[in-house]
Amino acid sequence: MADGSKTKTFIVTRFDPDRHEAPTTETYEVPVRERWKVLDALNYIKDELDPTLSHRWSCRMAVCGSCGMNVNGEPKLTCKTSLAEYGDTVRVEPLANFPVVRDLVVELDGFMDKFRAVKPWIIKAKERAVEEGPHRQSPEELEVFRQFSMCINCMLCYAACPVVANEPEFLGPAAIALGHRYNEDSRDEGARERNRIFRGEGTIFSCSYANECSEVCPKHVDPAAAINQAKFRAVLDWAASFVTSGPREE
Amino acid sequence: MARMAHPQAMQPARPPRTRTARPKAPDYLRPRMLSYLLFDATGIVYLLAGLVVLRAVFALASGPAAWQAFVADLHHPGYVAFHLLTFVSAVFVGVRFFRLFPKAQPARIGPLRPPPRPLIHAMLYAVWIAVTAFVVAAMVGVIP
Amino acid sequence: MEIFRHDLVVVGGGGAGLRAAIAAAESDPAARIALVSKVYPMRSHTVSAEGGAAAVARPDDSFEQHAYDTVKGSDFLADQDVVEYFVHEAPGELTRLEHWGCPWSRNEDGTVATRAFGGMATKRTWFAADKVGFHMLHTLFQHSLRFEGIVRYDEYFAVKLLVEEGRVQGVLALDVRTGELVVFAAPSTLLCTGGAGKAFPFTTNGNIKTGDGMALAYRAGVPLKDMEFVQYHPTGLPGTGILITEAARGEGGYLRNADGERFLVTRDYGVGTKAELGPRDMISRAIILEIEAGRGVQGEDGEYVLLDLTHLGEEKINTRLPFVRELALTYAGVDPVREPIPIRPVVHYMMGGIDVNIDGATDLPGLYAAGEAACVSLNGANRLGSNSLTECMVFGARSGLAALRFAREAGGVDEARLRARAEESREGVESRRGRKAGTVRISELRRRLNATMEKGCGVYRDEERMQETVATIAELRPLLSEIALEDDSRVFNTEVVAALELENLFDVAEAVAGAALARKESRGAHARRDYPNRDDQNYLHHSLVYHDPSRPRLATKPVALGRFQPEERKY
Repeated sequence: MADGSKTKTFIVTRFDPDRHEAPTTETYEVPVRERWKVLDALNYIKDELDPTLSHRWSCRMAVCGSCGMNVNGEPKLTCKTSLAEYGDTVRVEPLANFPVVRDLVVELDGFMDKFRAVKPWIIKAKERAVEEGPHRQSPEELEVFRQFSMCINCMLCYAACPVVANEPEFLGPAAIALGHRYNEDSRDEGARERNRIFRGEGTIFSCSYANECSEVCPKHVDPAAAINQAKFRAVLDWAASFVTSGPREE
Repeated sequence: MARMAHPQAMQPARPPRTRTARPKAPDYLRPRMLSYLLFDATGIVYLLAGLVVLRAVFALASGPAAWQAFVADLHHPGYVAFHLLTFVSAVFVGVRFFRLFPKAQPARIGPLRPPPRPLIHAMLYAVWIAVTAFVVAAMVGVIP
Repeated sequence: MEIFRHDLVVVGGGGAGLRAAIAAAESDPAARIALVSKVYPMRSHTVSAEGGAAAVARPDDSFEQHAYDTVKGSDFLADQDVVEYFVHEAPGELTRLEHWGCPWSRNEDGTVATRAFGGMATKRTWFAADKVGFHMLHTLFQHSLRFEGIVRYDEYFAVKLLVEEGRVQGVLALDVRTGELVVFAAPSTLLCTGGAGKAFPFTTNGNIKTGDGMALAYRAGVPLKDMEFVQYHPTGLPGTGILITEAARGEGGYLRNADGERFLVTRDYGVGTKAELGPRDMISRAIILEIEAGRGVQGEDGEYVLLDLTHLGEEKINTRLPFVRELALTYAGVDPVREPIPIRPVVHYMMGGIDVNIDGATDLPGLYAAGEAACVSLNGANRLGSNSLTECMVFGARSGLAALRFAREAGGVDEARLRARAEESREGVESRRGRKAGTVRISELRRRLNATMEKGCGVYRDEERMQETVATIAELRPLLSEIALEDDSRVFNTEVVAALELENLFDVAEAVAGAALARKESRGAHARRDYPNRDDQNYLHHSLVYHDPSRPRLATKPVALGRFQPEERKY
């Protein structure tokens, strides 16, 4: 085309529970511009071709975590994924492993429960008063958990995880990484409580270290590292419980 | 892939407020996913290798004739191919495991810090090569 | 229609909303607080803030200095009692966040690090690399999960305030998931719904920033205050408007024109020795003037100037500004370690908002507001970068407590009447679904509104173009009832939400343009070519805009001065 745009074919999942028994697809021809991301094309469809398409998005700068979808089978943050990566046909589907609410919108309530289950907040034996000022935390101590605090909850890791696909109770990459993030924070005293959760069914030892979560993570959180560090810690704790005379955790 | 994920994958604890479509499974045909599935499948190879070892033990227990027969069987192309497959599987799993092992080390264990990740990686290979060299040396008789 | 009963309804789950809910839940564990948001709270636009949050932290700093910087930055339109309270509370609030786990960047000795920011006399901006809003929001959200008293309603879109007996007794909302209307009944409502950058075509704001709370309050008869002051952030990526944080300049970045000249140093734009660390309004104007003088770089998305970080070195960029690098690489195809980043001024923040007092209370009993949605008059005519995240904490907390206190005193709500009132609105909302008979598309009408806002309410304004914008908005407004809506499905109908959001944007745009036209002076972010000077004689006052179906009604309100008297604003 004269204005430097090029037409690509988008095959997009459609699902309306009041109309469809199961998801179907719809095909759109979109004149895409050179620098467009996948999300730009979806917004073009919504604005110009078919306003009935539903998808979540907001910040369009890869930090709000709303617009995760499966693009050509791979979980992607659509606002960060350039269309130049794809050929003439792009398949956009809702994130795998999540029930589909409508079109490209998936059910997040299950995740939100898992998210809360790891107690993602600072736990203290005694609350610190504001007057005591901030904790001292060295840059090295910060570095220990910093990477695991970068998760934007975009859910790509759950869509990629082969364990989640087969074991729905699995706590999953983002939630475990978050729990581990607090365990590794020098200000936190809640590791015992969280490790009790981690020793339960469907948590860290369900992970088979496929590493898919880390491969698809758009923020380089490396949840697989977090989960397997948590395993390492759990094993050490368990071993230590035979050596030390301290009270055994149940 | 048309395969469904577990119907309850990421299902909310409470009943959904509107009907949802079943989750789709991850695309198992992507190269990375295939490589993971192959990694998982190597378990079968090790199971079979374990059976071969069992057979060797039984042969040993049944006297020299049985053992000779077993050793002769090992020259069969099928056995050779199987052992090659076992070797490739072991290398594949080793390389994969060595790649993923370093980052599974917590940043601190009490007062201890693990060495830098590339060093752990290199150490794993060093140990692997050393053990292999020892076994080979023992087999060819350099070490009695 | 389902009714959810609460003591306090907080609408909006960003920085201010979460802080308010936490403050209320902490003060009274038995309080039942609804946190209603049109998105999951961690999607709120607080997440996109990058550079930092201001609070006095160093021995060489003082509350007085922070207050002075803020008042001077506001071009003397801030209420100084509010500023005093703010600067005193700020360190405690950021310390609380530290206690709750916010991963603030640290000095070698383990104390919290601070960085320089525009218009601030010393380093007082706390930061967590360059993802401060992200870390603050996630810290608040995760911390909020421990309170049983906070009940979240994710993806509920507030449609209307329910006013009975002269006070707000609840909120009518659309459950986006089911398409059902529901009522949140509570003696107290707090709006923390953020700004309205999406009234403009070129903005750092996300898709959700549609002025919903401002419009709800406006339609309920509460005035919007100081709406003419729209902050243009100097450094947005051309085309997308994606924010490149002021911290890039705080860490030592330079602005250069097409000739490679540091124009803030070589030419007089009023920022003096502060150069790149001048306040946002002045730097945005300087960039526009450079471009108008033909010293901009021509690109496919219009002209721009350059933000040069190459002299900072890769290590500093990676530790202090990693997100800037990621954004520049992903969205402009430029690696700031090697090349300068193309940037131009972009709509970023609304200094104006719902008129509230220091408690976040509006004149309508039972209605409170905080954060960008509110105008507590901390920011006056120009906000200093890194004051707004702290504002969300300080006034979020105070408003949350005040709103809960009001709820305790006000007593119950009249559910039968609320239900009746809500039913009256049902038709209005539900008839939109699948209203295919219309003549204009949402996207088309939004584009036209955006275009006229950019034209009349840009960095520089003048009588003629503002007149035109006011007229165009009035002309376009009737088209809202002509919108064609093709999506008639019940479940997750984002088209209906977009239509309601566009109506909200029209209300906000009308207030912005109306207030801008009435202020015949240049002050802070409101720069008029036809009235280039500040006029304290006639305009040292807040402007108020009241909703009126025929045309908005304007009024004024005095500024609370204090120890700092208006003086020429020069750096």
